[in-house]
Amino acid sequence: MDNQQAKEILLRYRPGTTDATDPEFAAALEQAKRDVELGRWFERHCAFQSAIRDRFRQLTAPPDLKEKILADYRPAAVVLWWQRPVFQTLAAAAAIVLLIGLAYIWTQPGEDKSFAALRNRVVRNAQRGYVMDITTTNLGEIRRYLATREAHADYVLPAPLEKLPGDGGAVLHWRNKKVSMVCFALGNRNDLFLFVVERSDVPDAPAADEPEFTRIGKLTAASWSKGDKAYVLAGAGDEQFLRKYLVP
Amino acid sequence: MAHNDNDSRMTAQQEFESLVTRYYSTLYQFAFSLARNEDDAGDLTQQTFYAWARKGHQLRDRSKVKTWLFTTLYREFLEKKRRQTRFPHYELGGVDQDLPNVPPAGVNELDASAVLQSLSQLEETFQAPLSLFYLEEHSYKEIADILGIPLGTVKSRISRGIAQLQQILTDGNQPATTSKTDPRG
Repeated sequence: MDNQQAKEILLRYRPGTTDATDPEFAAALEQAKRDVELGRWFERHCAFQSAIRDRFRQLTAPPDLKEKILADYRPAAVVLWWQRPVFQTLAAAAAIVLLIGLAYIWTQPGEDKSFAALRNRVVRNAQRGYVMDITTTNLGEIRRYLATREAHADYVLPAPLEKLPGDGGAVLHWRNKKVSMVCFALGNRNDLFLFVVERSDVPDAPAADEPEFTRIGKLTAASWSKGDKAYVLAGAGDEQFLRKYLVP
Repeated sequence: MAHNDNDSRMTAQQEFESLVTRYYSTLYQFAFSLARNEDDAGDLTQQTFYAWARKGHQLRDRSKVKTWLFTTLYREFLEKKRRQTRFPHYELGGVDQDLPNVPPAGVNELDASAVLQSLSQLEETFQAPLSLFYLEEHSYKEIADILGIPLGTVKSRISRGIAQLQQILTDGNQPATTSKTDPRG
């Protein structure tokens, strides 16, 4: 770096500022220390720089300027993103949807765990069509199958049913509880359907072993309890028709 | 909640007062160096803080407040200058006062007004960089940010501006050319 190059750099040097730490000036400053002529030029430059700087600093603001600025101060109404109209509209819409949803849930009937609901479900299911897990005429085989599926297999059959041939069996589920289904063949493509459930799984299961009769669709259902089990027998006939298979 | 709102408002006002106290003087000096009259400099300074009150909360990096204020003031000046160019406005007796003769004397014999008048004789592109340079409030990088021009251009303009200013102050000569270009160009 020659003196001319050093001058070009030092021309922008401002003494007493952070320029002293700027690497750009370091070499030129060193050269000004070593070179007498450059050093003198640099002194004059610093004096010029300081003089001009001082003239700038002589500029004083009007005495009332600060007060004017402060008097005009009006803080901006900072609108946070969630306070903006678009978000408020969306929030209101979301709240309405939520309320509608909650209202729908609140107005819906609770989960019906009654025995009547169970009976209605299984009997209607038998009318719509069903799939048997096992098809056999052997009632013992059906019972064993249900046992292997950990379904209710220790049911007690009324004597007339014991004499009927089986048609098959299946394991159904009701509110996470198992229901055993045993089908009896009556001939002419007619079946009787027996459903067995744990008595404690349905709080309002029939208390006595005297059957209750009800009509569900095209079938008549007889319901009773015995021991720890509750039973539903359904068939295409009336009460008298069913009674024949309940009472010896 | 109202208590919190009052607290936040007080905090914002305190911050504003602190900023005004800290920067209004140097902002005014910069404004005066650009506008070269007291009224316009005061207006520019006020407008700058008014802009801060409205938009300052948008500045996330609070370490950039000073640069933001100077940048805003410079833009206000350019906008005002643009309007005045379209609709020139002269007050009686004002024109002669804006362009006095600068005596060829030593810098120490000049007052601030005379130095600024010399500054006004520089090419326009040199004036703002040189003002910020002599205010000694900013690094070269910050000056580049304020003026919206590259760092190398800032350095070049400052070097050439100093050379012209020295020539004017020592010789009392006008610069060789008078630029009518955009001050940011």
